[in-house]
Amino acid sequence: MTKKQIFMTSAFTENSIWRQILGICSALAVTNLMLNSLVMGLGVIFTLALSGFTISLLRNYIPKRIRMMVQTLIIASYVIIVDLVLKAYFPQISTALGPYVGLIITNCIIMGRAEAFAGKNPPLAAMIDGIGAGVGYTFVLLVISFVRELFGFGTLFGIPILGDWWTKWSIMVMAPSAFFMLAMLIWIVNTKSAKRG
Amino acid sequence: MVNKKTIFRETRAYPVVFMLLITIVFVGILAVLYQLTLHRVQTYRETQLKSMVLRTFDLPENDVEANFTKFISLREEADLTYYEATKDSVLLGFCFPISGSGLWSTIQALLAVTPDFKNIIDIEIVSQNETPGLGGRITESWFKAQFKGKLLVENHLIQQFTLIPENDQIKGFEINQITGATASSKAVVDMIYKNVLKYSKEMRAEL
Repeated sequence: MTKKQIFMTSAFTENSIWRQILGICSALAVTNLMLNSLVMGLGVIFTLALSGFTISLLRNYIPKRIRMMVQTLIIASYVIIVDLVLKAYFPQISTALGPYVGLIITNCIIMGRAEAFAGKNPPLAAMIDGIGAGVGYTFVLLVISFVRELFGFGTLFGIPILGDWWTKWSIMVMAPSAFFMLAMLIWIVNTKSAKRG
Repeated sequence: MVNKKTIFRETRAYPVVFMLLITIVFVGILAVLYQLTLHRVQTYRETQLKSMVLRTFDLPENDVEANFTKFISLREEADLTYYEATKDSVLLGFCFPISGSGLWSTIQALLAVTPDFKNIIDIEIVSQNETPGLGGRITESWFKAQFKGKLLVENHLIQQFTLIPENDQIKGFEINQITGATASSKAVVDMIYKNVLKYSKEMRAEL
């Protein structure tokens, strides 16, 4: 596979959310505001890329039986780095995201990519695969948060789009709407890919 | 040499040694990074708190350090900690660090009251982890603005605020609650009541 194919496969064809139904917990939690979704996405891309790279680099040395422990350690370290950097250099965003940054550790996509790809492929490919999976994840988050923020607040990235006449849909702000949105998205994608064969 | 290495990698000790080494390396990196950013994070938090104290008294925030030293003094008496603001040798009021349990975690705030405890001057939310977009709106200016200058006392007694729907007209001891976030709104109102009661008692305020 070429680098581009690796990227496209992990970002879209085998998208973690709509094909593998991974990482949906955070997709439900942070998608009521586009800005939070974007920062969360960037954090996940960073973690995926670097943890993929590191795990792939060490793949021939990691003892098979304890590989999950090692992966968790590496992933957790990168997530803490993201958290520390945000706290020190982007304190406002860090406050806005609150505990969500730390929760990147529990994002199944990262462990999933480590197991499915990084453990068996060279470092650069693993890094591209990680970026791809992260971009695919961020894309879904942005689509869902676009609808949720627009209908729930009448804004996009905090900028008012719909006027005062708009009655805000409180349900869009709350978690249940994320379930509906995600289900609809998966439905649309599956119908489309089924047609394509 | 190569042979020896392969053999070592098949022993039972290898996973243990490997895990130990990798843990030391990664934890080491994190510890260094933590130390490097610690000072920055703490300075930011302190400045943030100081500028919030200034904000509750409507004092200039352009040079936080200088203005804080000029107008504010920290008082620590027994189990009470609070800030006192003076301008042109007139006591503006007291600012109390208050906290209460919100829906998800502790809400921390700064509450400034007039020296006679009769009115709120202003409130600032220092930290909260309420639902973003719902309870998280306690940090929005319209919500905080409702408390500005609000009367606290009637018949020499501290009054508890009552919550009414978001867009209704407030009067007397009423506060507009946030739609979909009754618990968080109530938490703020409750912590104000409890703390004003506590501080006014401890500081022997004549109501």
